Amino acid sequence: MMCQAECRHYLQFSFQLPDVYQVFESVAKKYDVMNDMMSLGIHRVWKDLLLWKMRPFPGTQLLDVAGGTGDIAFRFLNYVQAQHQRKQKKQLRAQQNLSWEEIARKYQNEEDSLGGSRVMVCDINKEMLKIGKQKAHAQGYKAGLAWILGDAEELPFDDDKFDVYTIAFGIRNVTHIDQALQEAHRVLKPGGRFLCLEFSQVNNPLVSRLYDVYSFQVIPVLGEVIAGDWKSYQYLVESIRQFPSQEEFKEMIEDAGFQKVTYENLTSGIVAIHSGFKL
Amino acid sequence: MLSGVCGRLASALRGTRAPPSAVALRYEASTNELINEELGIAYPIIDGIPNMVPEAVRMTHQNKKQEEVEQH
Repeated sequence: MMCQAECRHYLQFSFQLPDVYQVFESVAKKYDVMNDMMSLGIHRVWKDLLLWKMRPFPGTQLLDVAGGTGDIAFRFLNYVQAQHQRKQKKQLRAQQNLSWEEIARKYQNEEDSLGGSRVMVCDINKEMLKIGKQKAHAQGYKAGLAWILGDAEELPFDDDKFDVYTIAFGIRNVTHIDQALQEAHRVLKPGGRFLCLEFSQVNNPLVSRLYDVYSFQVIPVLGEVIAGDWKSYQYLVESIRQFPSQEEFKEMIEDAGFQKVTYENLTSGIVAIHSGFKL
Repeated sequence: MLSGVCGRLASALRGTRAPPSAVALRYEASTNELINEELGIAYPIIDGIPNMVPEAVRMTHQNKKQEEVEQH
């Protein structure tokens, strides 16, 4: 099993393997558009489901790795802000008869609309991060958000730092997945949660057939038409096929020291969310 | 405005580290870097984004001096 995972990089691609960094450098500007086109918008639901599974509470420290354009980070901020607002509404209703001193004190306290939640977006690709920063600025995300250029295999963070580590559609592009998983384990606090949203293996033969046709006939063409880049999207489709199965990946996560490792298939296994805890 | 962004970055990054041990990083406006003097390392900030891949680390002058002393 491990040999299979290690040999992954020697498996055949149909053409000269492009440099992964360059792939993302060239797709960065069209990344979001292509995601919508290729998945018919469904990637948004997958990412929403990842947040639903996470259920972060205000005060959660999140590290989103390979999260360049910010999709997970923004969803996280929306979620904790909405939670914080609900909490405040409840508090207000319970505080209808405050004294003048108490009211004055409330004005003096600096309001953190996120309740102490923070997300660091770490990506190895500068272009992806730049797009993410621009989006954040355009959509008004400021507080509780930091962008860092870093390597998933050697993270620039202390041990035991984060409550949650997420990596959405990023881990299959990492050269040494086991190292990335070990780093994830290291930087999580005890009790912290690892969550990975990634393409996986389809469990339904009919869906599998349609998925293959769509992947190999449609996606690279879309890539050429929309992004002017057939090769990068051919790489994308093939890298998806090379990624370990749900069970294999679960074992890799367990090997990194995580416990209570589970996975959930989405859309007949086209995508899976793997979860593990550092206990 | 950029220094405001980086200032916030620096405080947000208080928990980040460079090499093995736990360190805190300070934002140095003159060189636009995140520096840890204790370890004598600095990370560049490019376009408001700190570059913290292992290869990006720069040894600060204090560290270089220390190394020269040790070599003698």
